[in-house]
Order: sequence, then structure tokens, then C-alpha cells
Amino acid sequence: MNTRALFIPVVLGTVRKGRASENVARFVFGEVQKRDGVETELIDLRDLKFVTDDAGEAIKEVRFSETVGRADGLLLVVPEYNHGYPGILKHVLDSNLKEYIHKAVGVCGVSAGGFGGTRMIQNLIPVLRELGLVTIFWDGNFSGSQKLFDDTGKILDDAYVRRIDQFLGELIWMSKTLRLGRENISM
Amino acid sequence: MAQTDRMICPKCGVEMNHHAMKIDYRGSLDNPAAIDPVFGGVLQEAHACPECGRTELRESK
Repeated sequence: MNTRALFIPVVLGTVRKGRASENVARFVFGEVQKRDGVETELIDLRDLKFVTDDAGEAIKEVRFSETVGRADGLLLVVPEYNHGYPGILKHVLDSNLKEYIHKAVGVCGVSAGGFGGTRMIQNLIPVLRELGLVTIFWDGNFSGSQKLFDDTGKILDDAYVRRIDQFLGELIWMSKTLRLGRENISM
Repeated sequence: MAQTDRMICPKCGVEMNHHAMKIDYRGSLDNPAAIDPVFGGVLQEAHACPECGRTELRESK
């Protein structure tokens, strides 16, 4: 059995100014860093250079593709915009395919309202599935996002620590299991 | 029908594991001749390296 550390990067799925999701991404990233045997990295879409006049494999960004290709699972932090996910996230996700197949993905939804991005997650799951990713059955739901953190970015409600602990437990289990399957179990 | 020869990891040189089949609709635009009429897209094999974890796709013949 493979003894490499699991690699589960956190993707901050919006580039908008004033994004509340950044605090969530940094909080979740910190929680992943606490896990033994798991390596992570925070991928901020703002740092990637994606052209928007083409799509798919034609616009692959080398750094993003290499990071996702190395990943055993993905953790997406995504705001809900008008019940949907950011278009730029879809644009970026669509640029890869082989990097995703039979890898786990978990989604943390972020919203200013009270539903924690649940409607966005319901819309995003079919996209992730078609890309070959395997969605877990736990979500992170961050409601009232503008009031969840203090000025230093510290989360104000400790209940999120326990919730994300459960979410990560499932994401890590699925990432381990799928890696075992990808690398050892043939069709 | 999957290809019978094992794919070799370009990084490690070891045999990769064929773990999935995927219909690639986007690839169909670039390579319409490869479209499988039964599935309506290009049928791709997904392989993973047991040493380094690298993943590769290749067209299923």
C-alpha cells in the first residue's frame, strides 16, 4: 500500500473583490494543515493566469494542472452567487480532465444568507461528477459569511471547527480509498 | 474494448493501473473520427501510476 502523504489542495473558487470566501478558505486550509499525513496547498484563482477567449485543454495553466494532477482529493471553497457557482471556477475546472478521474472532492459553500451555499452546491455537483470527480456526502456550509470572522480572519463560531472536522474525515477517507483503487484495482 | 497493452508511467517507468473508462465529449470536437458511435464521444481509458500517482488518459481502441 502506498505510503505517500495524501495531497488535498484547497481551491478558493472566486476572484471577486471583497470576497468573504477568502476567510473561509484560510480557515479550512488551516484545519487541513492540522491533519497528520495530509499535505495541502491553498490555490487562489486570482493567482492563476487563465485566458477567457478559449476553453478546455487549450487554456491549461501548467501550475494548476500539475497541482491538481498530484492531488488525491480536492477541497473547493465556493461562494453562492445568485444560486450558482462563479463562472470563473467553471472555466478553470473545465481546463482539465485526466487530473480528476476517480479523485475525491468536497465542497464548502459560502453565502451571505442563511443556507450556506447549499443551492450552489446542488448546481455544482453534476459538473464535478461529469469531470470524473467523486463527491463526498458531507458539505461545509458557511452562512452569514460577512459576520463569521473577526477583523483578523479568526472564525467567531467554534461550531464550525467540529463541522469541518467531520467533513475532512470523510474527504480524507474517500481520498485514501480512491487512491488505493486508482493505483491498485483494475477494471 | 480496452487496449490490452499496459500503459507505462512516463515518470517512473512502471506499469500503470487502468482504473476507469470515460467518455470524452470535448475530445470529440478535436478528433471526430475517434467518436465511438455507441457512446457518442471518444472513449478514454484512465490509468494511474502506483508509484507516483500520476494519471494519464489514452484513447481506447
